[in-house]
Amino acid sequence: MTVRRAAAAVLAVAMAAAVAFLSRVPSEFGGADALIRLSWRADGASVEACRVRPAEELEALPVHMRNPRECTRTPIPFALHVSVGGRPVVRDTVFPRGARGDQPVYVFRDLPVEAGRAALSVRFEPVPTDAADSRDQAPAPPPAASVAAAESAAVAVPVPAAASAAAWDGEVELAAGEVALVTMDERGTLVVRTPTARP
Amino acid sequence: MINTEGAQGARRATAQGHHGPGGVASAPGSRRAAKAQRPPGDNAGLRLLARVDAAFNALYTWRGNPLYHSGALVVACFAVLMVTGVYLLLFYRIGAPYESVAGIHAQWWGGRWIRGMHRYVSDLAVVATLFHGFRMFAQRRTWGPRALAWVSGVVLLGIFFVCGWTGYVMAWDAHGQLLAVEGARLLDALPVFSEPLGRAFTGEEPVPDAFFFMNLFAHIALPVGIALFLWVHVSRLARAQLLPPKPLMWGAVVLVATVAAAWPPPLGPEADPLRLPDRVPTDWAYGFWLPAARSLGAGWVWVVGGGVVLVVLMVPLLTKPRAGTAPPPSWVNPRYCTGCEQCYVDCPYEAISMVERDDGRDGLVGLVDPAKCVSCGVCAGSCAPMGVGPPGRTGRDQLARVNDFVAQVQPGPRDLVVVGCVHGAAGRVAAEGAANAEETADAAEDARAAGRNGAGAPRTFTVGCVGNLHTSVIEYLVRAGAGGVVVAACPPRDCRSREGVKWFDERVRNGREAELQDRVDRSRITVVYAASGEARVLRDAVSRFRSRVASMDAALAEQDFDVGAECEVEEDAT
Repeated sequence: MTVRRAAAAVLAVAMAAAVAFLSRVPSEFGGADALIRLSWRADGASVEACRVRPAEELEALPVHMRNPRECTRTPIPFALHVSVGGRPVVRDTVFPRGARGDQPVYVFRDLPVEAGRAALSVRFEPVPTDAADSRDQAPAPPPAASVAAAESAAVAVPVPAAASAAAWDGEVELAAGEVALVTMDERGTLVVRTPTARP
Repeated sequence: MINTEGAQGARRATAQGHHGPGGVASAPGSRRAAKAQRPPGDNAGLRLLARVDAAFNALYTWRGNPLYHSGALVVACFAVLMVTGVYLLLFYRIGAPYESVAGIHAQWWGGRWIRGMHRYVSDLAVVATLFHGFRMFAQRRTWGPRALAWVSGVVLLGIFFVCGWTGYVMAWDAHGQLLAVEGARLLDALPVFSEPLGRAFTGEEPVPDAFFFMNLFAHIALPVGIALFLWVHVSRLARAQLLPPKPLMWGAVVLVATVAAAWPPPLGPEADPLRLPDRVPTDWAYGFWLPAARSLGAGWVWVVGGGVVLVVLMVPLLTKPRAGTAPPPSWVNPRYCTGCEQCYVDCPYEAISMVERDDGRDGLVGLVDPAKCVSCGVCAGSCAPMGVGPPGRTGRDQLARVNDFVAQVQPGPRDLVVVGCVHGAAGRVAAEGAANAEETADAAEDARAAGRNGAGAPRTFTVGCVGNLHTSVIEYLVRAGAGGVVVAACPPRDCRSREGVKWFDERVRNGREAELQDRVDRSRITVVYAASGEARVLRDAVSRFRSRVASMDAALAEQDFDVGAECEVEEDAT
């Protein structure tokens, strides 16, 4: 009986200890030596192309839809180029969010790098609309021929100031386990924060 | 007085060498024979469960076996979490989450201990929930009317999981940051949010107080959902036992409190978005998915995790017996129903209601709701006139079966008959007996030929549950001249019919309706609690009872006792 009780007590303590251990299992989550994290939000912008509807086309529309101007808004994508140590690691195009592309542009990605000092170059620039149109994801622009045929005045709205380019060039030094955050300040300038260079 | 035996008595007898030649027939060793000896509905999970239960019964007895109370332990954990959570809330500050938790952690005399309890009990709740689910799955208590309990249980586990998740984020240490970042990464993989949620934890800006407020709100509000789904979970149970027995409950609480005091959980370094997590003490009850999320990516976690959840939710469909093989629900024969309401009271699933009669007689009559009936048959055991029960398993059906059984077995004045639940040790022994029918019959024949009448292996008469067993069956066996009747019941807290063993005990000992009649010689009856994995406990009890019966006068059979006539009399009386 005593042996049984002792065994029961030992098992009970072991089960409780197992539950406590379950709560604190040492787990390795390292994978990257160090990390460059790109994270910022930029206001989206778009190019608006408008034409004046001919009178006969207007008359064909219901009365409440007779807007003399028809506009097509094309979101402006951004090119994101990043190189570390002179080696390109990101060459991508970032599109404004939202089904119609009318939301801000978000950049949020992690780039594992080796610890140490390295040259970092980040370019974030609006893509000229022609280039944007050639990409699959970009909404198709109104056909130029149809615009001309409609004898309308096409108006290309220039890239807004908010969609200006940003860049950062310099060196970052990261120890193992450290993260360099590349972000954008309120003036639209790219800045880099590291554990040793916090704001 | 009826003797009752459990595992402890059996062990004592074993130590005293009471294995007799008249033990219940044992199995030969071949794999094919072992397969043939499995009771119906057996599966690998059930066999594992039987072994683990038997081991825990040996150490803690069936009364204190925590595995039988896993569901109730979760509720007890929930109560402890509420109490300790309120204390921790007094010191938690949304504006300084880590500092406030560090302050709690610094209270070695109270805060650290209570935080440890809060954390360890939350883990115990997950472990107990998983075991509870495994038991229900292995025992196939998942389909039909029990599907609601299964699905709500899965939802409960999900809410518990998310609640624990938010709790770890509250501390805002490295582990909390890891959970928050990876959680955001998971959500960002869904095409729902216009802005990546993960950006909140990159260090661009300090994590806003609003996030910690929302997190705290969720951590407090989710337990309301737990309480709500707990109510749904037990809504189809009569007299749901929400808490484990006090010795077990307080024993568990004291044990966890002791471990929390002796080995309090660590508080990791403060969350730092500009530092990578490396070696983080992780709670695997809530963070088991983190390594997979980091190595496979969020999409795979959604696919694999969603698939697992979907399969688990579909268990009621996957485990549902094929059409025509499911046990049919009970029904009431209004001809025999006296409107006594005993079946209505005893039904563990509230599947029976009492309604006005429509056959011209006064009073009420029982009505079974097939959508709620799990076909446990407890109502059959509760009905003195044997007017209710699953088709083929009513009291009348049992009497007809035992009539045939007696005619076939012809138990002698020293012979024992084991009557028991098919899911317990009796079911396993009966399966073994069926597999060895020829050997057993030969052994009994040899024993009789050698003039050792009564020394043969006892024959087993199984029922779906001892709660389904009508006491008239026991009476019939005694009056038919059996030397003794061993009723092998499952441990009460492991009864698949929930309250079958409890009501059986009441009927045999305390005169509950459909009681064992006073005229039955109690000295020829013994009750033993033996789970499926405790065939040895049953064998030892049989061996001891055989010795007792041998010392009594030889049982006398009533020559003019005829079950058919008795039933006819009752039918005529109606």
